[in-house]
Amino acid sequence: MNTDAVIEVDGVVTRFGSQTVHDGLSLQIRRGELVALIGGSGSGKSVLLREILGLQQPTAGTVRLLGTDMWNAPEHELAATRRRFGMMFQEGALFSSLDVAGNVATPLLEHTDTPPELLPRLVNLRLTLAGLDAEVGAKLPSQLSGGMKKRAALARALALEPEVLFLDEPTSGLDPITARAFDALLDFLNRDLGLTVLMVTHDLDTLLSIARRIVVLGRGKVLADGSADEVMAVDDAWIKSYFSSRHTVQSATVPGSADGT
Amino acid sequence: MAEAQRSCWIEEHDGEVVLHLGGAWRLAALRELSRQLGGPGGALQAVTSHALPAAVDGAALQHIDTAAALLLLDALADAGADPQQVALRRFDARHERVLEVVRSRFADTAVAPPRLALTLPGRVGKTVADGAELMLGHVEFFGRTITEIGRALLRPRELRVHELFAQLGQVGVNAIPVVALVTFLIGVVMAYMLGLQAEKYGANIFVVDGVALGMAREFSPLIVATIMAGRSGAAFTAQLGTMKLTEEIDAIRTLGLSPAQVLVLPRVLALVLTLPLLVFVGDVAGLAGAMLMANATLDIPPQAFIDRLQVALSPRHYVIGIGKAPVFALFIAVIGCRMGMSVSRDTRSIGINTTSTVVQGIVAVILLDAIFAVIFQELGL
Repeated sequence: MNTDAVIEVDGVVTRFGSQTVHDGLSLQIRRGELVALIGGSGSGKSVLLREILGLQQPTAGTVRLLGTDMWNAPEHELAATRRRFGMMFQEGALFSSLDVAGNVATPLLEHTDTPPELLPRLVNLRLTLAGLDAEVGAKLPSQLSGGMKKRAALARALALEPEVLFLDEPTSGLDPITARAFDALLDFLNRDLGLTVLMVTHDLDTLLSIARRIVVLGRGKVLADGSADEVMAVDDAWIKSYFSSRHTVQSATVPGSADGT
Repeated sequence: MAEAQRSCWIEEHDGEVVLHLGGAWRLAALRELSRQLGGPGGALQAVTSHALPAAVDGAALQHIDTAAALLLLDALADAGADPQQVALRRFDARHERVLEVVRSRFADTAVAPPRLALTLPGRVGKTVADGAELMLGHVEFFGRTITEIGRALLRPRELRVHELFAQLGQVGVNAIPVVALVTFLIGVVMAYMLGLQAEKYGANIFVVDGVALGMAREFSPLIVATIMAGRSGAAFTAQLGTMKLTEEIDAIRTLGLSPAQVLVLPRVLALVLTLPLLVFVGDVAGLAGAMLMANATLDIPPQAFIDRLQVALSPRHYVIGIGKAPVFALFIAVIGCRMGMSVSRDTRSIGINTTSTVVQGIVAVILLDAIFAVIFQELGL
């Protein structure tokens, strides 16, 4: 098994009827990277994410996640792989019938043999890792604000000590202060806990502060791939206008990782 | 090699107790680690209170994740050591960082005492109070709906004709097949059961009296209303509940429109207008079923059945049956809409409210039918 490449997308083609979303798209992400996926509306960012996760089948091409071919592997291998990554959905997708602690405990109860006396502590650790107070565990998802929902969803995604973390628009709908705190949180998870992070985002501050690598999708292909500076240097009308929508963000500081959030 | 298999062991150097860690400390092995650490015969069981481990040595550690780090700190705390004071020695930098991350949050993971659950009298009281609140809400909503109907009658121009016709189609026309099928079968069964008894007395022809009276006055309205409580009442709750959740109802309000007028009124009117018609469909289908059965098993040809029907079924019974329908419809529709409008912010409550609508609708129909029976009895109808 190639331990270096965590995500391998090879020649993926996606068509919806006559509309081609991906036209032979290839991408590799190595262990420990923090990658942001950007692109205009309809460029297939979320679709690509769903294809990598095994939720939606590409028309052609292969997707390998942690060495598993997500569309040809036997079910038991897929089940084992699913325990090794976490996904945070855009609206959280918390189970509305369970309180927050119940949401976080669900994967632990289903897939691990955690001693019952340690379980509440472990749930609380996940909540504090996601930047929530342990008291939030007793609340129902409907009682949470948007930012807290996202953090609770992150706590659930982190429950099984994932090696790879996927996030769909982690900072959308958050106020700038909360959004920057979320960035710092992701930076900390990536640096201090060694998680590989792949996120779909449109937040320029996120891109320019914590994303070590930016992948730009467009016209069914990868238009640009590299650090913020490298991507901005690419001569493409969409990329130019995207980054020129804000000029002053280059000086944004990378939040310190030693102090956590 | 046995040394490498062990996850933890105690060593003493110069009178200092040191806990050594080895192997891979992972979430998947949590129970085994917990056993080796604090279980019977575990490393920390051997430690006495005056010789607590002052340091943890991680030289042999291959991997540690946050869950396993939490287990280690928790076990140290259980043994009486202060996790914040224990020194970390010879750890790989990455492992030490994971431990420090968990250690800095260790105090925050303390488990709050469980909240007190309601006692039995408390739960009974809460159920009664919730039920009373629900009924009060229904009464208020009912009043507002009646007001809206009155307003629509005074100013028919404000009625949403397009929406009303869409609902008439969904609630009425689309329900004809299921209503006809069910009442037809009830007619068949009734004729058969009555026939079994009537045949003994040679009173075959009176089966027509029984079926006609029973169907027109009781069974058709009751069964059709029950079907509609399940079909349309549930649909109203699910539709309005989803719209509530996606903030469509708020959008209607902010556009200066009234949800009562745009959403509730067309649904209530559609059901009130169509239920009597569906009851008529039920009457006809039920009698047709009975006629078929009478012809097959009781030697009553259709012509004789119809002739007897003219005598047996006085318009009074038919009108009473049809007349109950709008009242049933009003209750079913108001309950369905109100339960939809009172969906709270989570998806779960759509399911809860939809179930509740069907139960309340059916109970309301049967309760009303009983009240009607008593009233008509007193009036001698």
